[in-house]
Amino acid sequence: MDEFQTGSESVEGVIGGSAYQHSRVSQWTSSVVEQSLSQLSKLGKPFKYIVTCIIMQKNGAGLQTASSCFWDNSTDGSCTVRWENNSMYCIVSVFGLAI
Amino acid sequence: MSDLAKEKAARLLKKRGSMSSQGSRELRSKETAGKVKDSISTVSYIDEPSHHDDNVRPAVQMENTYQLGPVKRFPVLTVTDILKDVLTTYLQEEKYEVELSRQMTKTISEVVKARVKDLMIPRYKIVVLITIGQLNNQNIHVGSRCLWDMTTDTFSSYTFKNSSLFAVANVFAVYFE
Repeated sequence: MDEFQTGSESVEGVIGGSAYQHSRVSQWTSSVVEQSLSQLSKLGKPFKYIVTCIIMQKNGAGLQTASSCFWDNSTDGSCTVRWENNSMYCIVSVFGLAI
Repeated sequence: MSDLAKEKAARLLKKRGSMSSQGSRELRSKETAGKVKDSISTVSYIDEPSHHDDNVRPAVQMENTYQLGPVKRFPVLTVTDILKDVLTTYLQEEKYEVELSRQMTKTISEVVKARVKDLMIPRYKIVVLITIGQLNNQNIHVGSRCLWDMTTDTFSSYTFKNSSLFAVANVFAVYFE
Protein backbone atom coordinates (compact mmCIF):
# COMPACT_ATOMS: atom_id res chain seq x y z
CA MET A 1 0.00 0.00 0.00
CA ASP A 2 2.93 2.31 -0.31
CA GLU A 3 3.25 3.02 -4.01
CA PHE A 4 0.84 5.89 -4.08
CA GLN A 5 3.25 8.24 -5.72
CA THR A 6 1.53 6.84 -8.81
CA GLY A 7 -1.67 8.53 -7.67
CA SER A 8 -0.11 11.96 -7.28
CA GLU A 9 1.85 11.64 -10.53
CA SER A 10 -1.24 10.91 -12.57
CA VAL A 11 -3.01 13.93 -11.11
CA GLU A 12 -0.08 16.21 -11.91
CA GLY A 13 0.17 14.73 -15.38
CA VAL A 14 -3.45 15.32 -16.33
CA ILE A 15 -4.42 18.63 -14.80
CA GLY A 16 -1.06 20.01 -13.70
CA GLY A 17 -1.13 23.48 -15.16
CA SER A 18 -4.79 24.03 -15.96
CA ALA A 19 -7.35 26.39 -14.55
CA TYR A 20 -10.85 25.19 -13.79
CA GLN A 21 -12.97 24.77 -16.90
CA HIS A 22 -16.47 23.44 -16.58
CA SER A 23 -16.47 21.82 -19.99
CA ARG A 24 -13.37 19.79 -19.33
CA VAL A 25 -13.97 18.63 -15.80
CA SER A 26 -15.62 15.33 -16.59
CA GLN A 27 -12.85 14.57 -19.05
CA TRP A 28 -10.27 15.33 -16.35
CA THR A 29 -11.86 13.17 -13.67
CA SER A 30 -12.04 10.27 -16.11
CA SER A 31 -8.46 10.58 -17.25
CA VAL A 32 -7.04 11.09 -13.75
CA VAL A 33 -8.81 7.98 -12.58
CA GLU A 34 -7.94 5.92 -15.62
CA GLN A 35 -4.27 6.83 -15.46
CA SER A 36 -4.07 6.00 -11.75
CA LEU A 37 -5.78 2.71 -12.36
CA SER A 38 -3.50 1.73 -15.21
CA GLN A 39 -0.41 2.58 -13.18
CA LEU A 40 -1.78 0.57 -10.26
CA SER A 41 -2.47 -2.44 -12.42
CA LYS A 42 1.10 -2.17 -13.74
CA LEU A 43 2.25 -3.00 -10.20
CA GLY A 44 0.99 -6.50 -10.81
CA LYS A 45 -0.18 -7.18 -7.27
CA PRO A 46 -3.14 -9.47 -6.46
CA PHE A 47 -5.41 -6.57 -5.55
CA LYS A 48 -8.74 -5.16 -6.65
CA TYR A 49 -8.64 -1.36 -6.79
CA ILE A 50 -11.24 1.37 -6.34
CA VAL A 51 -10.12 4.86 -7.37
CA THR A 52 -12.27 7.92 -6.65
CA CYS A 53 -11.58 11.45 -7.84
CA ILE A 54 -13.31 14.65 -6.71
CA ILE A 55 -12.62 17.89 -8.57
CA MET A 56 -14.08 21.05 -7.07
CA GLN A 57 -13.89 24.67 -8.12
CA LYS A 58 -12.45 27.07 -5.54
CA ASN A 59 -15.34 29.26 -4.60
CA GLY A 60 -15.17 29.57 -0.84
CA ALA A 61 -17.30 26.50 -0.26
CA GLY A 62 -16.40 23.81 2.23
CA LEU A 63 -16.19 20.08 1.58
CA GLN A 64 -15.94 17.10 3.94
CA THR A 65 -15.26 13.50 2.88
CA ALA A 66 -15.27 10.42 5.06
CA SER A 67 -15.01 6.74 4.32
CA SER A 68 -15.70 3.69 6.38
CA CYS A 69 -14.59 0.25 5.27
CA PHE A 70 -15.43 -3.31 6.19
CA TRP A 71 -12.41 -5.35 5.19
CA ASP A 72 -9.40 -7.25 6.42
CA ASN A 73 -7.09 -4.75 8.09
CA SER A 74 -3.99 -6.80 7.62
CA THR A 75 -4.25 -7.10 3.84
CA ASP A 76 -6.32 -4.13 2.66
CA GLY A 77 -5.68 -0.40 2.81
CA SER A 78 -6.30 2.98 1.28
CA CYS A 79 -4.57 6.23 0.47
CA THR A 80 -5.75 9.75 -0.34
CA VAL A 81 -3.96 12.45 -2.32
CA ARG A 82 -5.09 16.07 -2.04
CA TRP A 83 -3.98 18.39 -4.82
CA GLU A 84 -4.79 22.02 -5.42
CA ASN A 85 -3.88 24.94 -7.62
CA ASN A 86 -5.21 28.48 -7.90
CA SER A 87 -8.63 27.61 -9.21
CA MET A 88 -9.55 24.13 -8.04
CA TYR A 89 -9.12 21.26 -5.61
CA CYS A 90 -8.67 17.64 -6.56
CA ILE A 91 -8.97 14.74 -4.12
CA VAL A 92 -8.02 11.24 -5.28
CA SER A 93 -8.73 8.24 -3.03
CA VAL A 94 -7.43 4.79 -3.77
CA PHE A 95 -8.71 1.69 -1.99
CA GLY A 96 -6.89 -1.62 -2.47
CA LEU A 97 -8.55 -4.89 -1.50
CA ALA A 98 -6.71 -8.17 -1.51
CA ILE A 99 -8.16 -11.00 -3.50
CA MET B 1 -9.04 -11.77 -11.80
CA SER B 2 -9.88 -13.49 -15.07
CA ASP B 3 -7.35 -13.84 -17.85
CA LEU B 4 -9.44 -11.72 -20.19
CA ALA B 5 -9.34 -8.83 -17.76
CA LYS B 6 -5.57 -9.16 -17.41
CA GLU B 7 -5.12 -9.14 -21.18
CA LYS B 8 -7.28 -6.06 -21.55
CA ALA B 9 -5.37 -4.30 -18.80
CA ALA B 10 -2.06 -5.23 -20.46
CA ARG B 11 -3.26 -3.87 -23.82
CA LEU B 12 -4.39 -0.61 -22.18
CA LEU B 13 -1.03 -0.24 -20.47
CA LYS B 14 0.87 -0.69 -23.71
CA LYS B 15 -1.12 2.18 -25.20
CA ARG B 16 -1.01 4.43 -22.17
CA GLY B 17 2.27 3.62 -20.46
CA SER B 18 4.42 5.76 -22.73
CA MET B 19 1.93 8.63 -22.71
CA SER B 20 1.88 9.08 -18.96
CA SER B 21 5.67 9.05 -18.59
CA GLN B 22 5.98 11.77 -21.23
CA GLY B 23 3.42 13.85 -19.41
CA SER B 24 5.27 13.81 -16.11
CA ARG B 25 8.59 14.64 -17.77
CA GLU B 26 7.02 17.67 -19.43
CA LEU B 27 5.68 18.86 -16.12
CA ARG B 28 9.01 18.54 -14.40
CA SER B 29 10.71 20.58 -17.10
CA LYS B 30 8.02 23.25 -16.78
CA GLU B 31 8.76 23.54 -13.09
CA THR B 32 12.52 23.70 -13.48
CA ALA B 33 12.15 26.42 -16.12
CA GLY B 34 10.64 28.60 -13.43
CA LYS B 35 7.12 28.75 -14.83
CA VAL B 36 5.57 27.29 -11.71
CA LYS B 37 1.82 27.22 -11.88
CA ASP B 38 1.41 27.20 -8.11
CA SER B 39 0.15 23.76 -7.28
CA ILE B 40 0.41 22.01 -3.98
CA SER B 41 0.02 18.33 -3.44
CA THR B 42 -0.27 16.39 -0.21
CA VAL B 43 -0.41 12.66 0.31
CA SER B 44 -1.98 11.02 3.32
CA TYR B 45 -2.10 7.37 4.28
CA ILE B 46 -4.73 5.66 6.36
CA ASP B 47 -2.16 3.28 7.78
CA GLU B 48 1.62 3.72 7.76
CA PRO B 49 3.28 2.37 4.64
CA SER B 50 5.28 -0.59 5.84
CA HIS B 51 6.28 -3.94 4.51
CA HIS B 52 3.57 -5.72 6.41
CA ASP B 53 2.26 -6.96 3.09
CA ASP B 54 5.17 -9.41 2.76
CA ASN B 55 4.88 -10.70 6.30
CA VAL B 56 1.13 -11.16 6.42
CA ARG B 57 0.60 -13.19 3.25
CA PRO B 58 2.04 -16.50 4.51
CA ALA B 59 0.41 -16.13 7.95
CA VAL B 60 -3.18 -16.05 6.71
CA GLN B 61 -4.09 -19.62 5.89
CA MET B 62 -7.54 -20.12 4.45
CA GLU B 63 -9.12 -23.40 3.51
CA ASN B 64 -10.34 -23.88 -0.02
CA THR B 65 -14.08 -23.66 -0.34
CA TYR B 66 -14.06 -24.59 -4.04
CA GLN B 67 -16.71 -21.95 -4.51
CA LEU B 68 -16.59 -20.29 -7.92
CA GLY B 69 -18.93 -17.39 -7.33
CA PRO B 70 -20.99 -15.68 -4.65
CA VAL B 71 -23.90 -17.65 -3.25
CA LYS B 72 -25.90 -14.51 -2.52
CA ARG B 73 -25.38 -11.49 -4.77
CA PHE B 74 -25.11 -7.96 -3.45
CA PRO B 75 -28.55 -6.29 -3.35
CA VAL B 76 -27.88 -2.95 -5.02
CA LEU B 77 -31.40 -1.57 -4.77
CA THR B 78 -31.73 -2.37 -1.07
CA VAL B 79 -28.48 -0.56 -0.41
CA THR B 80 -29.60 2.47 -2.46
CA ASP B 81 -32.70 2.62 -0.28
CA ILE B 82 -30.54 2.44 2.84
CA LEU B 83 -28.42 5.34 1.57
CA LYS B 84 -31.49 7.41 0.72
CA ASP B 85 -32.99 6.72 4.12
CA VAL B 86 -29.86 7.52 6.12
CA LEU B 87 -28.94 10.68 4.22
CA THR B 88 -32.47 12.07 4.37
CA THR B 89 -32.96 11.43 8.07
CA TYR B 90 -29.60 12.87 9.06
CA LEU B 91 -29.37 15.84 6.72
CA GLN B 92 -32.90 17.01 5.93
CA GLU B 93 -32.91 19.97 8.27
CA GLU B 94 -29.18 20.67 8.58
CA LYS B 95 -27.27 23.73 7.45
CA TYR B 96 -23.66 23.39 6.37
CA GLU B 97 -21.32 24.07 9.29
CA VAL B 98 -17.69 22.98 9.38
CA GLU B 99 -17.61 21.09 12.68
CA LEU B 100 -21.08 19.64 12.32
CA SER B 101 -20.41 18.37 8.83
CA ARG B 102 -17.11 16.88 9.88
CA GLN B 103 -18.84 14.84 12.57
CA MET B 104 -21.75 14.11 10.31
CA THR B 105 -19.66 12.57 7.50
CA LYS B 106 -17.95 10.25 9.96
CA THR B 107 -21.20 9.30 11.69
CA ILE B 108 -23.10 8.70 8.48
CA SER B 109 -20.37 6.51 7.02
CA GLU B 110 -20.33 4.39 10.18
CA VAL B 111 -24.12 4.11 10.20
CA VAL B 112 -24.28 3.10 6.53
CA LYS B 113 -21.52 0.54 7.04
CA ALA B 114 -23.40 -0.95 10.03
CA ARG B 115 -26.67 -1.17 8.13
CA VAL B 116 -25.07 -2.79 5.11
CA LYS B 117 -23.32 -5.27 7.41
CA ASP B 118 -26.71 -6.11 8.91
CA LEU B 119 -27.79 -7.40 5.52
CA MET B 120 -25.33 -10.22 6.18
CA ILE B 121 -24.09 -10.73 2.64
CA PRO B 122 -21.36 -13.34 3.03
CA ARG B 123 -17.83 -12.88 1.62
CA TYR B 124 -18.32 -9.29 0.52
CA LYS B 125 -15.97 -6.50 1.59
CA ILE B 126 -17.60 -3.07 1.85
CA VAL B 127 -16.15 0.38 1.21
CA VAL B 128 -18.40 3.36 2.08
CA LEU B 129 -17.44 6.84 0.87
CA ILE B 130 -19.45 9.89 2.03
CA THR B 131 -18.85 13.42 0.76
CA ILE B 132 -20.70 16.42 2.23
CA GLY B 133 -20.18 19.86 0.74
CA GLN B 134 -21.48 23.37 1.01
CA LEU B 135 -23.56 24.81 -1.79
CA ASN B 136 -21.94 28.05 -2.88
CA ASN B 137 -22.68 28.24 -6.61
CA GLN B 138 -19.59 26.23 -7.34
CA ASN B 139 -19.23 23.21 -9.53
CA ILE B 140 -17.99 19.85 -8.38
CA HIS B 141 -17.35 16.63 -10.23
CA VAL B 142 -16.98 13.27 -8.49
CA GLY B 143 -15.76 10.30 -10.53
CA SER B 144 -14.57 6.80 -9.79
CA ARG B 145 -13.21 3.82 -11.65
CA CYS B 146 -12.65 0.34 -10.34
CA LEU B 147 -10.41 -2.51 -11.27
CA TRP B 148 -12.36 -5.57 -10.17
CA ASP B 149 -14.37 -8.53 -11.33
CA MET B 150 -17.43 -7.23 -13.14
CA THR B 151 -19.51 -10.34 -12.58
CA THR B 152 -19.31 -10.34 -8.78
CA ASP B 153 -18.48 -6.79 -7.67
CA THR B 154 -20.75 -3.78 -7.74
CA PHE B 155 -21.45 -0.38 -6.24
CA SER B 156 -24.38 1.76 -5.16
CA SER B 157 -24.62 5.54 -5.11
CA TYR B 158 -27.02 8.25 -3.91
CA THR B 159 -26.93 12.06 -3.98
CA PHE B 160 -28.86 14.25 -1.56
CA LYS B 161 -29.34 18.00 -1.73
CA ASN B 162 -31.01 20.60 0.46
CA SER B 163 -30.90 24.39 0.49
CA SER B 164 -27.40 24.76 1.93
CA LEU B 165 -25.54 21.51 1.40
CA PHE B 166 -25.22 18.46 -0.78
CA ALA B 167 -24.15 14.93 0.11
CA VAL B 168 -22.86 12.12 -2.10
CA ALA B 169 -22.80 8.55 -0.78
CA ASN B 170 -21.01 5.67 -2.52
CA VAL B 171 -20.94 2.07 -1.40
CA PHE B 172 -18.58 -0.36 -3.17
CA ALA B 173 -18.96 -4.10 -2.62
CA VAL B 174 -16.06 -6.37 -3.53
CA TYR B 175 -16.30 -10.17 -3.46
CA PHE B 176 -13.60 -11.92 -1.47
CA GLU B 177 -12.57 -15.02 -3.37
